[in-house]
Amino acid sequence: MADKQDRMCMVVSEGSFDKAMMPLIMGTTAAATGTDVHVFYTFFGTKLVTKKGSKPKLPGMWRLFTGMFIKRMKAVGIGSYAEMLRQAQDMGVSFYACTTTMGLMGVKESDLLPGVKILGAAAFLKLAAESQTTLFIG
Amino acid sequence: MAKARGNVYLCPRESALRGIVNTVGEILLQKDATLDAKGLMCPMPIVHLAKKIKEMKSGQVLELLADDVGAKEDVPAWCSRTGNQLVGTETEGKLLKFYIKVK
Repeated sequence: MADKQDRMCMVVSEGSFDKAMMPLIMGTTAAATGTDVHVFYTFFGTKLVTKKGSKPKLPGMWRLFTGMFIKRMKAVGIGSYAEMLRQAQDMGVSFYACTTTMGLMGVKESDLLPGVKILGAAAFLKLAAESQTTLFIG
Repeated sequence: MAKARGNVYLCPRESALRGIVNTVGEILLQKDATLDAKGLMCPMPIVHLAKKIKEMKSGQVLELLADDVGAKEDVPAWCSRTGNQLVGTETEGKLLKFYIKVK
C-alpha cells in the first residue's frame, strides 16, 4: 500500500447544521496545521455543497434554535456556514460531491457551489487509503 | 542569548528555557508581533495563528493572547505539528500567553 500522507479525509452523510459545521471546523484546523484536507459529501450531506442547501438547520426540534447557535458561534469568532466554507476553500480544503448521490437526488453539476468537485467512491477511497486521518461525520 | 532589543517578558518557571535568564529572572527575547485571539474559541485561535505565522519571517517571535481553555493544548500541538517553536508560555488568570518562534 502507498505511504500515508499528511492528509485528512472526511465523509459527510448528513445535511444538518451540526454535521455541516463539524467538518469545516476540523478541516480549517487541520489545514492551519499544513494538512491536506478532503471532504466528501454523500447522501443527505450532498445538499450542503449545493447552492440551495447552503443554509443548513439543526435537526428535529433543535431546528428552531439554529439562529441562536449561529449567533453564539459568531460571538466566539466562528462565522456562518457560508463564511466558514469560503474560508476553508481559501485555506486549500477540497470539497467533493458524490457522483452517485448526485444522480439519485437529481443534483446537477451546475447546482454545486463554486469550487466543489465531483468524485466517485473509488477515487475518494484511494485518497482515503493514503491518508493519516479519516473521519466519518454522520 | 541575544541582547534584548525590544520587549522583555518573564520566563515561566516551568519553561525549559529557564536556564537562559538574566540575573533578575527575566528572559530576554524580542517579540516582533502580537496576535490577540481573546474571546475566540477553537478552532479560530489556531486558524488566525497559522495565517499570522505565514506573514512573519523565520526567527521572529509572535506573542499569542488567548482565553479559550482549548488553546492550552491546541497551541503546543499545533507548534509541534508545524515545526514552529513554542519558546514560552505564561498564564495570567484566564489569559494565556504563548510565545512562538517562527520556523
